[in-house]
Amino acid sequence: MPNFITHEDWLAITPLLIAGGGALIVLLVDLLWPKHAPRYVSLALGIGVLLAAGAFAATTYGRSYDAFNGGFMLGGFAVVFQEIIVVSAIFSLALFGTFGRDDRMAGITALLLWSTTGAMLMAGAANLMTIFLGLELLSLALYCLCGVAGRPASQESALKYLILSSTASGFLLFGMALLFGATGSVTLASLTLPGLTANPLYWMGGGFFLVGIAFKLSLMPFHVWSPDVYEGAPLPVTAFMSVVTKAGTLAVFARFAYALPHGEKLLLPFFVIAGISMIGGNLAMLAQTDLKRLLAYSGVAQAGYMVAALAGASALGMRYAIYYLAAYMFMNLGAFAIAALLSGEREEGAQIAAFRGLGQRQPLLAAAMSFFLLALAGFPPTAGFLGKILILAATVNAGYAWLAALLIAGTAISLYAYFKIFRLMYDPHDSPAPAVRTSAPLAYAGAAFCAVCVIIMTFYPLTPSNVLPLVK
Amino acid sequence: MVLLLILLPIAAGSVLFALPRGERLWSRVIGCVVAAATFALPLLDPNGGDFSARWLSRPFTASLHFSWSGFSLWLVLLLALCTFCAILATNAAQSRTMVALLLMLEGGMMGVFTARDILAFALFWDLMLIPPFFALIEWAPHRETAWRFLIYNFSGGLTLLLATAAFGILSGSTDVIGGTHQFAGSWAPWIFAGFAFAFAVKTPLWPLHTWMPNTYAELPPPFVAVISAVQSKAGLYGFIVIALPFLRSALVEWRWLLVALALVSLLYGAFVALTQTDTKRIVAYSSLSHLGLIVLAIASANPVAIQGALVYIVAHGLFSAALFLILGYLEEREETRSVLKLGGLGAVNPKLAGAFTIAALAALGLPGLAGFAGELVILTGVFRAGYFWPALIALVPIVLASAYMLRLLQDVINGPQVAALPRRPDLTVIEALAVAPLLAALLLVGIYPHALLAAVMR
Repeated sequence: MPNFITHEDWLAITPLLIAGGGALIVLLVDLLWPKHAPRYVSLALGIGVLLAAGAFAATTYGRSYDAFNGGFMLGGFAVVFQEIIVVSAIFSLALFGTFGRDDRMAGITALLLWSTTGAMLMAGAANLMTIFLGLELLSLALYCLCGVAGRPASQESALKYLILSSTASGFLLFGMALLFGATGSVTLASLTLPGLTANPLYWMGGGFFLVGIAFKLSLMPFHVWSPDVYEGAPLPVTAFMSVVTKAGTLAVFARFAYALPHGEKLLLPFFVIAGISMIGGNLAMLAQTDLKRLLAYSGVAQAGYMVAALAGASALGMRYAIYYLAAYMFMNLGAFAIAALLSGEREEGAQIAAFRGLGQRQPLLAAAMSFFLLALAGFPPTAGFLGKILILAATVNAGYAWLAALLIAGTAISLYAYFKIFRLMYDPHDSPAPAVRTSAPLAYAGAAFCAVCVIIMTFYPLTPSNVLPLVK
Repeated sequence: MVLLLILLPIAAGSVLFALPRGERLWSRVIGCVVAAATFALPLLDPNGGDFSARWLSRPFTASLHFSWSGFSLWLVLLLALCTFCAILATNAAQSRTMVALLLMLEGGMMGVFTARDILAFALFWDLMLIPPFFALIEWAPHRETAWRFLIYNFSGGLTLLLATAAFGILSGSTDVIGGTHQFAGSWAPWIFAGFAFAFAVKTPLWPLHTWMPNTYAELPPPFVAVISAVQSKAGLYGFIVIALPFLRSALVEWRWLLVALALVSLLYGAFVALTQTDTKRIVAYSSLSHLGLIVLAIASANPVAIQGALVYIVAHGLFSAALFLILGYLEEREETRSVLKLGGLGAVNPKLAGAFTIAALAALGLPGLAGFAGELVILTGVFRAGYFWPALIALVPIVLASAYMLRLLQDVINGPQVAALPRRPDLTVIEALAVAPLLAALLLVGIYPHALLAAVMR
């Protein structure tokens, strides 16, 4: 194995370099522009950078290469996760068309790009160092992004996220240190060493590592931060966080879980908390009156579904977890786009009460929201329906039928919460909430795009067939 | 062709939402034309209409596979007929919304009845639950009704999904409806339980029926007509095309429970119908009782009983649609559903009373009308299967049916009228046209059940 960095290595992380370097360009343009760069210049630059990064990543699909001595694995797995991350980031930037102060837009765009870079690094990270590097890059930028709204709630959210997330990073780092102690190496591949399971450091390290992962995935009972942070953060940032942190962390977890040769014992508690999340997240959703909190708890449960697909480390499960993640991205971001369209500067659309009488006021928006909620609840003809059945099939196939049963129970509970919004939108006995009209063509386009994707994914389930061989 | 049958009503329903909210004429015209087209399509080409496209190849093969053949065709026709009549009878202020939802409901159910793949069946099963839910939000006076409908039925949909996934994993393909390969193994009873729960909720079967009386009582009559006449049959259809051919051994294993629940539904429905005073609730509980008889036939797994069940499914669809539409007319005129207040219909509205009488007599199983043929063949089959006592017990609610239906007729048609109400016109032409096809079909099937039986035997 060569110890020096080659041209190929740099090529492997070019999408990351584009996204990270693009952030500097955005800042530079802002600096050189008389006063500040207009909002749409920063956003357009940011979206352009992300499109370039996504396009470059797409060209590497199908290639397999271990860059930086196995620190970053290029392959179908990484590319699919990177594309999901890039699409969510573009979407969040589009939502920023009506949020936040003009003069801060360049900074916001740059932070979002850096955060995206971190998540993209996690998608390909295959040793403990790069995992941590990616995670911290993602999180550090997000701490700042949570606070950009300037409302007290936003600042509180940033501080809460900083403190709690750092604690979790501590757990993760401690786990990594112990794993390093057990194996003498930072690569995930070293977890296959024979006789490792006799070493207590392996169990402790693995346990701490998984606690950190569970926190970042907001699995119950490590989810407590997510509703508060989601509630306070600006709406586009919440949309970004809800998908991108999950995507990055899920990629890391999948690599870790699939690297263990006999991981059932170590991973079983993790699948148990995934099961708890499905039930608990959906139960907690019932009591929410704030849409962002509701979607946070929904995210807790949905993360549980995705993790459940990975139970048993089956080849199929991985595909279905990715499929569901992509489906979740579109339906979740679609719901956020509708909330953004109902929001002014004070984010009225984030309150569930803002949906009162929407069916009469703005029937198209109400229909779109209904569609995304139906998708989240797993009704056909949406990708949520097909994703659920694929996950059920994977868990049953892997011998985790109890997870399938919990998934069913959790979904049944979730109905009440999602459909509470339906009732608000369509109940003829209620008086409608005051209308907030925003003209945000980007958000409209985003919502329409999400809806189309959710339907197409149902009938053409594009599960990337060469993902698995490249997981390693 | 068959895809058109599913997509045309759904597309037409969506387009109708573009009309203004208060629109009343064009929505009904379009709705009737579309429903009539869905009735004519399968008749033009009774053996054709097969559409198949590969959907999944892993973890099991599944196709978007639809066709009409054999019994599906009868249910498709029944559905199209009931939808047509219901749209014609729609007379609410919100007719645009109601017609649109009715069409979407029709499209969803067309998918259920023509699906040749269990996964596609499950997809349309969930899809057909959405329009009634929106209708309940829009029209039901009590909010809990919509929730109860949704939670019960969607829980059923979820167990159906789980059972479908397990079935697909273990048998390798879900593109199987119409075939008969036996599916055995230690998982079979659980997979059957998943399917059976969904079907039992939808039918409904005691004790999973508690969503049903409120839903039927609070939905507008055209909607109830379609739901009670056709949607409730989706569960029975599922038993016949999925549970019986593939999971017969599991069905035999669970048979004691199915027979017991069917008998309880039969008796409970009949006794409760005797005590109700709300006209729609009387018919709703009678429905619980009648459908219990069909479940009994299915549980006996006797070929003769199954044939009877198929005939009775169509017959029940016809008379319950007619009954609910007529009760709707009645409620519109008399402004009450309580039999304690109603009366004197025979003197004031003889045509309406006549139509009501025919439908009610069919419901109590009068020979010469459709209900009788089905009941007779079912009981014969259940006897033949060796279920002497269940068959004997099933006779009790059939006798009780005469009691509650005649009481309903008597209370509504005879006696003094409700005082101090605005004028009560007799059946208008359109109202009459809406129930006439149903009543004619009742007579036809009653006098000449052979046509239907012959089709079913094949």
